[in-house]
Amino acid sequence: MSQTQNNTIDLIKDTFAKTAFAPLSWTTNDYGNFYAWLKLDSPAQLTEAAHVLQSLNARLCTVTAYTEDRSNEAKQQAIAYHFAIKSILFCVTVQIYDKETLEPLAVPSITAYFRNADWNEREFMEMYNIKIIDHPNPKRLFLDERLDAGIMTQLIPFSSMVHGTGSKNLWEQVMLEKMGYVPESYKQVLHEPAFTKVEETQKEAPKSQTAEKE
Amino acid sequence: METKPQETKSFSLPLGPIHVALEEPMYFKLELEGERVKHVDITSGHVHRGMELLATKRNFFQNVVLTERVCSLCSNSHPLTYCLAVENLAGIKVSPKAQALRVLAEEIKRTASHLFNVAILAHIIGYKSLFMHVMEVREIMQDVKETVYGNRMDLAANCIGGVKYSVNLELIEFIEKSLARTEKHIKEIVDIYAGDKMILTRTKNVGRISAEDVAKYGLVGPVARGSNVQIDTRKDAPYLIYGQLDFDMITETGCDVHSRAMVRLRETLESIKIIKQILRNIPEGELSTLLPHIPAGEAMARSEAPRGELFYYVRTDGTDMPLRLKWRVPSYMNWDALEVMMKDCEVADVSLIVNSIDPCVSCTER
Repeated sequence: MSQTQNNTIDLIKDTFAKTAFAPLSWTTNDYGNFYAWLKLDSPAQLTEAAHVLQSLNARLCTVTAYTEDRSNEAKQQAIAYHFAIKSILFCVTVQIYDKETLEPLAVPSITAYFRNADWNEREFMEMYNIKIIDHPNPKRLFLDERLDAGIMTQLIPFSSMVHGTGSKNLWEQVMLEKMGYVPESYKQVLHEPAFTKVEETQKEAPKSQTAEKE
Repeated sequence: METKPQETKSFSLPLGPIHVALEEPMYFKLELEGERVKHVDITSGHVHRGMELLATKRNFFQNVVLTERVCSLCSNSHPLTYCLAVENLAGIKVSPKAQALRVLAEEIKRTASHLFNVAILAHIIGYKSLFMHVMEVREIMQDVKETVYGNRMDLAANCIGGVKYSVNLELIEFIEKSLARTEKHIKEIVDIYAGDKMILTRTKNVGRISAEDVAKYGLVGPVARGSNVQIDTRKDAPYLIYGQLDFDMITETGCDVHSRAMVRLRETLESIKIIKQILRNIPEGELSTLLPHIPAGEAMARSEAPRGELFYYVRTDGTDMPLRLKWRVPSYMNWDALEVMMKDCEVADVSLIVNSIDPCVSCTER
């Protein structure tokens, strides 16, 4: 371990020892890199943690939202904020639900401390349907406004996709916007299973261009 | 005759989403005053693929293949950093030989990636002969990839616990000969980019971003180093055998499009220096270790991809699939910082500035 790395670790330990946060835990890897881990009790502590990290000249690397349990979709969510303080990676984790009711909690924005939190927060707002307080620019980042928020917590069955549900909905929407309604004749075709349509199409051989001219 | 002062008109200009600099979609809504850009609004998400969700439906082995397909230009950095994260989590030791071969693949990819970006710069300013020349030189590195790995972009070099390839004496000789040819050409290309009047006129003082704004936006890689910010994961938090290698961190002070191009060009020479050191001394040892059970837990890892720090976070629950796999590419922050770089620039320089961040949409939207 280099002297610079030692000094950084000491500075981080000393700074957080003066706060009311839970003690840090530390891990290392085969290449001598060190990782600090901090768990917050509630999202309300986030701004204070951001303030302390800003005073250490930390750089926000990224933010990860996730559900804590694979079987529990979208209910018990948490966020991990990843920072770099010189050679040290620092991870702040916070559960964003009420421990008793399991109801989701809103999360304060840290863009006032880290400007580049902007995109990260917008991304987890739309992908995980997490509510952010005081975000300066809370518009969609990647997903179109018409798509549901929290799409990263949803499983769209492959069977729905291959049966053309998406195309059908899109076509109905186009017809609705263009004509003001979806004609019954289209509805009949669209609501039939995809494999039936294929069979019917195969019955009638497509006319060649030459045949049409004749 | 009395002349009236010319009115400066304000209007919006939609640009993109196709062919702004590369054939990748990103839409810019520019607010202009005359020819000057006053504000830029970015709309992204045209090719979002939900790969991070897909990663939670794949086992640890399959995710090596998946992450290699996030992006083609830094396709080696993704599986490498993913493997580093899993290895950190499970405490897997990688042999010195495999570490050296991982670095070899990284630096070959970096050389080709940087040359591609500076070639596109020449293409955008209409310097077609230079564009063709740089692409021709890059082709030597493409040949190296094809010969050593059997593929020009996705090398399939990494696996959890090591690598899937090795180099024999014949291949070492071939790489060395290719490097000698490339190095000679790159030195000439560096001189052209440093002194050619046409390049300097179009790139100097264009797309400026200060060191303060680099810190504010959390920028990394050649964009940060072009603003004289000393940041390079290979030096800051050495991984693999980077700590034992002799190479310099390249910085420039111009804070503009030209500085970013010069950082990339000069870095290719450092990459060649690294590759030569590895080829002279490839350690003996195993290529990879057996994959142990991946325990429940979490781990972070980062590497220096061609565009800067690449970050991976993995969270597991003791099954053979990650509970969450997150990656953040260097382009992610660079896009956001374009609002600073484009402020008050001319419309004609927009694509040049976009190219100067070495943009990668497939990485960003994953």
